[in-house]
Amino acid sequence: MSADVPSSVDVFIQGEKEPASSGIVLVLGLVTMLSFLVLYSILFPGRDMPVVSEVLPMFEGVFDSGIWFFLLGVIFGAFSIIATMLAEATSE
Amino acid sequence: MDVIISTLAVFWLFLAIFFILIKRGLWIFSDVSKSLSMFMLEKALGPAIDFVSGRPGSATTAWIIHGFVWTFAASTFTFVGLWLTHDPTALHSFGSWGYNPKSSELIYAGRLTALFGAIGMTVIGTSLHALPKLSGTNLASESNATLVSLLWTLSVLLMFIGSQNSVILGITILPVANLLLSLASIAIAINMVITVSEATKDIPFPGWLILFAVIGNIAAILAVFVSGAYDEGTGQWLLFHLSGGTFFFCGLAGVSLYSASVGSGNPLWSKSLVAFTLFGALVTINPMGSTDSSMVTDLFSLPSSELDATSRDVISGSFLMALAAMPIIAFSANMLVTLRGSDAFVENPDAPGIAELNLGSWMLVPVAIGALFVQTDALGGVNELTGISQSLDLMAIWLVMIPLSLGAALSILPRASGRHQLSENRSRWAYWMMTGGAFLGLLITMMSDFTDMALTESMAEQGASINDELRKVGSVMFYGTVVGAIFHCTNSISGQFRGRLVQSVNTSSTSSISVESYTLTSTTTIRKILASGATLDTEVSPSGQTEEEGSATEL
Repeated sequence: MSADVPSSVDVFIQGEKEPASSGIVLVLGLVTMLSFLVLYSILFPGRDMPVVSEVLPMFEGVFDSGIWFFLLGVIFGAFSIIATMLAEATSE
Repeated sequence: MDVIISTLAVFWLFLAIFFILIKRGLWIFSDVSKSLSMFMLEKALGPAIDFVSGRPGSATTAWIIHGFVWTFAASTFTFVGLWLTHDPTALHSFGSWGYNPKSSELIYAGRLTALFGAIGMTVIGTSLHALPKLSGTNLASESNATLVSLLWTLSVLLMFIGSQNSVILGITILPVANLLLSLASIAIAINMVITVSEATKDIPFPGWLILFAVIGNIAAILAVFVSGAYDEGTGQWLLFHLSGGTFFFCGLAGVSLYSASVGSGNPLWSKSLVAFTLFGALVTINPMGSTDSSMVTDLFSLPSSELDATSRDVISGSFLMALAAMPIIAFSANMLVTLRGSDAFVENPDAPGIAELNLGSWMLVPVAIGALFVQTDALGGVNELTGISQSLDLMAIWLVMIPLSLGAALSILPRASGRHQLSENRSRWAYWMMTGGAFLGLLITMMSDFTDMALTESMAEQGASINDELRKVGSVMFYGTVVGAIFHCTNSISGQFRGRLVQSVNTSSTSSISVESYTLTSTTTIRKILASGATLDTEVSPSGQTEEEGSATEL
């Protein structure tokens, strides 16, 4: 004996709008991640963070001048110009 | 030897020959040369010409959009250059990539990209729209003009690379960039001359200003090389200022005067003043620009010579630079009155471009007077004011030339492409950011220059700490120019796709009461028409009336 399964189950359905609570889930995830990072430094004091501690020295000496804050703005502006060109040209 | 007068005599002779050729043609060879030139502009380029659109207005749009992007690049290079004057090691981390940016090199890159990329491309772009309109015809080859914009952009890109690394793989980059730029200039000049040859009416003076901007620059280069003054410091200095007086001043004046009238809706105030501007620009020496003419030696790969003018050259040069005040004041006054019309207020102040044109016209006279003092000082070998030369040069670029070229481009772009900028509000924000950034940033930098000069004069052993602080504040303020340029770029690019159509009804009005048409049945005063809610755009249609008695209509 088999149960009747409605045919609509086979169709993928996705909402057009984002539920407000999804943002809360993301923030919760971020806070949890930071908490675990803090916990790591408490449980293993003086120990370098895996992976992260090996990547960060690559950027030593890069952000040691205030000009980098302005250059980040310039980079953001340059990408916004390129993005505007691409988005406007390809949008319907 | 009197370098200045002899070179100018050759320059004027070339201009006279060009003028006669344009007016009279090449006798029986006119048709042949015209068809040959058209063939060179289009068919001879082969499949390359098919890559670009020949739609009317496409060339203007391409040149202006390229110009806007170069404005962003130029403002960024200048900002970083100004920052590095007080913090030379700020970007030392680039050293790991083999790049060691220096303040002087970045400011030089900023000047090159601003002059040839931002100003040059917007001036040519607006000229390609204005000149055919003034001649009552169409542009001879829209496709070629569009294609050449890519060549010009490539040459400006090479200029930037050459300013940072002059020799790559044994090739000196800047002369190559200049060669490409010259090719593009010749193509544009031929395109314009053929356009003018098809004129259906007398060309107004702004059209001649545009034409002499392109041709005058070529004549200036030829004159300096023919007269043999190219290897002398005075000749190189003269070529720098003749290019400034022809391509940049005449070009900016032509497109600005056209845009001031088109943008404000007012007729050009004085025809005589435009004629005077044209004549004065060609017979005098424009003082604006740097005292250092190394740009000429770099672009033409010439041996650098010190500016060591003879006493006769100092007298004639100073006299001709002082004379340049007359066309400059004539142009500025004509612009300001045209933008205002019959009252004290600027017409259509919310229209993009009008505010920039107003700013450029206001700043032109004080910057030119300042430049006159600095140039006379340098030409005479006194060199007491050389310390402010760079700041004054940047002021001429960012407070006079960029506002005028940008203002003209913002006025012309909707008319060429058929769509307005996406947002008038963002355009206004961009204006305030660029103006505030350039004015305050460069003014504060100049204050620091004066402090430096005073310290040098007093032979102080240590520099003042306030100097670094001033330079820091100046460079941070100048960052507003970068933000304004980004706003202009995104606003204009989006406007090409989603901006309001130019043909649509203008929703912005000076008043909430708007009467589209007003039927005039009897004599009345303009005050009464305006009082009834009509605006300057209201169409007044007279309706005929007779005093005869009415009677029954016969069937």
